Amino acid sequence: MTGCRLPDSADVELYFYDDLPAVDRGRVETHFRSCAACRQRLEDLHAVRVALASTPAVDTPPAGDWSGFMRCLDRAIAAPGGHLVESADAAAARGADAGTPSTVATPAKRTSATPRTMLALAATLALVAGGVFFAARFKAIPAATSVAHGPRQPVAVHRADARPDRALREGSAEHLERSKLVILGLATRDPHARAEDWQYERTLAATLLSETRLYRQAAVQDGVQDVERVMRDLETVLLEASMSDTRDRTALERVQRLIARRDLVLKMQVVAASGASGD
Amino acid sequence: MDGGFRATTDSDLVARAAAGDGAAFHALVERHRALVYRLAYQFAGNHHDAEDIAQDVFIKVYRSLDRFRYDAQLTSWLYRIVMNACIDHKRRQSPAGWAPFTEEAELQMENTPADDPGPEDRAYGGQIGDVLQCEIARLPPGQRLVFTMRHYEGLKLSEIAGSLGLAEGTVKRQLHAAVHRLRAALISARVTTGGGA
Repeated sequence: MTGCRLPDSADVELYFYDDLPAVDRGRVETHFRSCAACRQRLEDLHAVRVALASTPAVDTPPAGDWSGFMRCLDRAIAAPGGHLVESADAAAARGADAGTPSTVATPAKRTSATPRTMLALAATLALVAGGVFFAARFKAIPAATSVAHGPRQPVAVHRADARPDRALREGSAEHLERSKLVILGLATRDPHARAEDWQYERTLAATLLSETRLYRQAAVQDGVQDVERVMRDLETVLLEASMSDTRDRTALERVQRLIARRDLVLKMQVVAASGASGD
Repeated sequence: MDGGFRATTDSDLVARAAAGDGAAFHALVERHRALVYRLAYQFAGNHHDAEDIAQDVFIKVYRSLDRFRYDAQLTSWLYRIVMNACIDHKRRQSPAGWAPFTEEAELQMENTPADDPGPEDRAYGGQIGDVLQCEIARLPPGQRLVFTMRHYEGLKLSEIAGSLGLAEGTVKRQLHAAVHRLRAALISARVTTGGGA
């Protein structure tokens, strides 16, 4: 680039991206005529554009499915002082009336509740009240009485002393149990199987993905690290499985390597067991 | 999609959402989620982080509805929020902390590759597009954002500067540095694969 007046300036890039004023464009064009290095720079930029155009822009979650994304968003913005925003996608996913207008309350304003919302609220309150009532009853039972009442009592007493993350752990344990079947299915397939042979696992992986993400996010929020780690690993494997190209003969092998490298089955068993036992 | 809001302007949707209309907020999300996701994916290089960033963006939008300036373009506002969400995301991944777009950080960003190649690093088999994608994932965050907004979104430098609240000169330097690195990757890939793009 000896003798070139533009080696360190951004003029070539700006010319390429049509971001130069007309007067400067003329100046740079004149320069191109006498500078092979800058012409090469310009050609390279065209080559970069062509090469990047061959890889399509990704603007949706895997399989173009926004329902999990919208559900997560609904939950995330149901912050204190706010109100759950019900998306059409989320409603459809749960079999509710997809066309029903949703309600949302910003921190500033709140819409009036519909009868359905009131009913749901009443049901939730009843459940919570019932839960509190039973928890209080179990807690009130003296240790001596609980021994007299047989093997069920220690569990009840234990539940009353439960860690605040107990609900998350129990939910995670159930989810991990469900997911384990898919992971074991993926791990034990012939690695050279055709894509259609493990299509069932791929489909199940896609359906488990959103819920796995929700559990991971909840674990992050509550600082429950072991659950977070196993959900992150599970999510990675499910994502890889559900997204893999059906023409890619090495996809299943890659998924299996991920499962093995992360000791996923073992981790799922440990975390599921701790959730199920309440440890 | 858009739930009957097809003809409603962004500003009207924001106003209605800020007044508590959930359907309007959803229409807003549905209208712009592809743009936000695309930017987030370009920044993060994988679905996992792209979804996290895009979630953050819309949560911030939701919580800031009453602060939207109605004389501004919604997309400019979104770009700004996306940038902040990307930076927050990067900061969470690298808790040592860095301040994007200060003079010092800018110098550092021009010379330091990102920490990791990204989980969807697919630079193999001589695919130049893949090699370039990989290099984009390795660009420092500031350069990555500016390049994405210019190259993929087609924004003018002045628009990027306006959206991100940066001096135009800073944006110009970021773009120059990003393209310089991509050219270097291209040349190296040509040497490796023995072909042109």
